[in-house]
Amino acid sequence: MSREDVFQKVMGIIKPFVKNEEVFQQADESTNILQDLKVNSARLVDIILNFEDEFDVEVEDEDADSVNTVGDAVSLIMEKLSV
Amino acid sequence: MTELPLQFRCGLAAQREAGRVLGIIWIIPIAWLMRFFMKYRIKDVKDLRRRYRKLISETQAPILICPNHLTMVDSAVIAWALGGSWWYLFRYSRMPWNIPEYSNFSFLWFLGLGAWITKCIPVVRGGSREDVSRVIKKIDYLLRKGDTALIFAEAGRSRTGKIQVHNHAQAVGRILTTVPECQALCVYMRGDQQDTWSTAPKRGDSIYLDFEVFKPQSTFSGMRRSRDIAQQVVAHIADMEGRYFASRK
Repeated sequence: MSREDVFQKVMGIIKPFVKNEEVFQQADESTNILQDLKVNSARLVDIILNFEDEFDVEVEDEDADSVNTVGDAVSLIMEKLSV
Repeated sequence: MTELPLQFRCGLAAQREAGRVLGIIWIIPIAWLMRFFMKYRIKDVKDLRRRYRKLISETQAPILICPNHLTMVDSAVIAWALGGSWWYLFRYSRMPWNIPEYSNFSFLWFLGLGAWITKCIPVVRGGSREDVSRVIKKIDYLLRKGDTALIFAEAGRSRTGKIQVHNHAQAVGRILTTVPECQALCVYMRGDQQDTWSTAPKRGDSIYLDFEVFKPQSTFSGMRRSRDIAQQVVAHIADMEGRYFASRK
């Protein structure tokens, strides 16, 4: 799966949790999930668990600590998919 | 979980010792403030403290206190109710560490100093994942060292006044998963006049408090395991709440 494919799927998963639609429309890999998209921090867990289901990977709590931006999420999934 | 860096371990040791040395000038006054100024009364406090002290004396396992969350002073009231002020002077490690929201006291330097002395580790809710993770690792480290910590099972004060089972704090599940043998001490606390969430219980309120040791099990792994355990803890406190209201009918 290409990085662009993962990015598109990640954006699809994040979308229902986004409170700032305007920023979401122009989001790229540098967009911060909590601060820019105004996703509730408690919902970030739901998002990452949805990544697990979508990409059939397992994410540890410590892995998730590195996820701040959309690009971080994409990188984490790419890393998990390559193992 | 990765080991806590040396500078944080030293910082926590300094914080603990400063609080211990100054204990007489903050533990007793805070307890007196609650008892004589706010006129709080804890129901069956003698039996409650006897049970808590018995539990502490009988277990070597780390204890994470996981209460419901209705007011901003819940952690102080719970600590006072469970241990009593003098008891903590001689068992300082049992005075629970707290993780209050940084913005609650960051605007005045002396509030920050006060929070530091009173075993608080500030967290920025919604802050960077690394910062939140660092706070969790500090609590993890302290529990392994034999200290007690308190983290609300709910992610924020309940806006409905009842336990919000879907609003669990993931950190609770994460810590109970990673700290070996760690027990959750589920606490349900509510003042008689506490209808919904507030800054503090009403002056003169009579406060009900009960606790139960809970050892959640999960067949999941990874983050799903942490979430499952956090949800079980909240569900257990919700069960305690159900019994509380049933007993009042």
